[in-house]
Amino acid sequence: MRPAEPAPAVRVEVERLALEGRTLMEGLVLDLPAGRTTCLLGPSGVGKSTLLRLTAGLLPGAVRSASDGLPLDGRIAWMAQSDLLLPWLTVEDNLLLGFRLRGARGGEFARARERAGELLARVGLAERAHALPHQLSGGMRQRAALARTLVEDRPIVLMDEPFSALDAITRHRLQDLAAELLGGRTVLLVTHSPLEALRLGHEVRVLDGAPARLGPPLRPPGSPPRTADPALLALEARLLEELAGAPRPTLEAAA
Amino acid sequence: MARALESPPASLPAPAERAEPAAREDRLARILAPIVIAILVVGGWEAIVRVHEIPHYILPGPSLIARELVESWPVLWPSLLITVKIAALALAAAIVGGVGLALLCSLSRWIEIALFPYAVVLQVTPVVSIAPLILIYVDHTLTAVVLCAWIVAFFPILSNTMLGLASADHNLRDLFELYGASRWQQLRLLRLPTALPYFLGGLRIAGGLSLIGAVVAEYVAGTAGTGTGLAFRVLEAQYRLNIPRMFAGLLLLALTGVAIYLLFGALSHLLLHRWHESAVRRER
Repeated sequence: MRPAEPAPAVRVEVERLALEGRTLMEGLVLDLPAGRTTCLLGPSGVGKSTLLRLTAGLLPGAVRSASDGLPLDGRIAWMAQSDLLLPWLTVEDNLLLGFRLRGARGGEFARARERAGELLARVGLAERAHALPHQLSGGMRQRAALARTLVEDRPIVLMDEPFSALDAITRHRLQDLAAELLGGRTVLLVTHSPLEALRLGHEVRVLDGAPARLGPPLRPPGSPPRTADPALLALEARLLEELAGAPRPTLEAAA
Repeated sequence: MARALESPPASLPAPAERAEPAAREDRLARILAPIVIAILVVGGWEAIVRVHEIPHYILPGPSLIARELVESWPVLWPSLLITVKIAALALAAAIVGGVGLALLCSLSRWIEIALFPYAVVLQVTPVVSIAPLILIYVDHTLTAVVLCAWIVAFFPILSNTMLGLASADHNLRDLFELYGASRWQQLRLLRLPTALPYFLGGLRIAGGLSLIGAVVAEYVAGTAGTGTGLAFRVLEAQYRLNIPRMFAGLLLLALTGVAIYLLFGALSHLLLHRWHESAVRRER
């Protein structure tokens, strides 16, 4: 499902960001290539989610720009670790929440509904459109959340550890599904799993240190979703070592 | 031996079949157990009164109280309606005031900082000690009594609704912001539904408290007012040493309290059973 409008490249520049007197980021520039998935790895508490929220414009303190020169507001979709489905709305109504908030009516709403139906079919939830979130399993809820993220058809998608609460098998399947459905969009995916980053990212970036710095982009061979073959697993092991504190050069050699 | 462990004996029913009667037994126990206790207590009470020939102006037996309840029904029933009316008015005012103030506090931190301490002061000052003052300064007795009951019922609704309004998941707030939701939409579609279970919890507490508040206020107002509520009838019966009627009045008050509790419990279930954790039956 490619986006209706071509996805721009995005640049986020943070001159200096301090929280509670601690400098979190300084002179940091994040480039998201157009129509590509960038995965952001890093130890807990380093500021991955903060960088994501800065990109979304939910936090002040960053200069954001798109390669097409248009403003970013209204072109960003968001998916978080929890499904963020409103428990009192059905799955379909949850998907259509954004349209309801914007007061979509008549033809526009009908089209949105049709698209929601298509997406629910794509994520295998066509039968459960009228179920309430608590009637679904964790994996189903996260699939519904993925469908909701895509129903808006926005060229830029930000994801904050979207699959981390799922079991390994469900996570693997959802990664494949996400890679397929997110094709052609500019995606920033924050994760703490090196394997997830390597399977899904055109580029993998590591955020580390205090104040946090971005490592050079790592571009694994092939295109996502990659299979977890021995080469990828070896790369995962090296990434893991680096994240755990081993020196950086090993990674650049691998790339 | 190992083989025997693997396959359960044929006589044992499947777990699902066993679960059904167990659930029914549980429901039956919930109804029967309190009834059995009631029969034991009432029977024991009646027996003690009869065996020891305790005079009715000291401790009337349950049968005498029941007879009194029936005989003075024409006096007690209209009084009960008055007390219920006071409690209902107080509760309605508490809902309007509590939810209204909670909304104001959620809109502006300054309002919360400025007003919340006074709500706490109102809550922690015993109503028995404020009631005489209110009765002095408010001419209209009904208004004064309702005001007293309102003071008691107001706080649980305020504090619970405030907690509920502040409980919306911050990720969901972010999502609403990214979707370009207005403040009003965020309140209507996110914060109010999130606050509903908390509000209903407060309502269940406040419902009982409004009755207690009404009774306390009537006690304090006593013969000073037009006083014909049920609490006044209990007082009046006490002055006349009509102890059975006192018990009858108390019984009626207790039953009314239980009815209010059940009513709001049912309302809560009705509004939440489709989606809220507290009321949803887990699918296994």
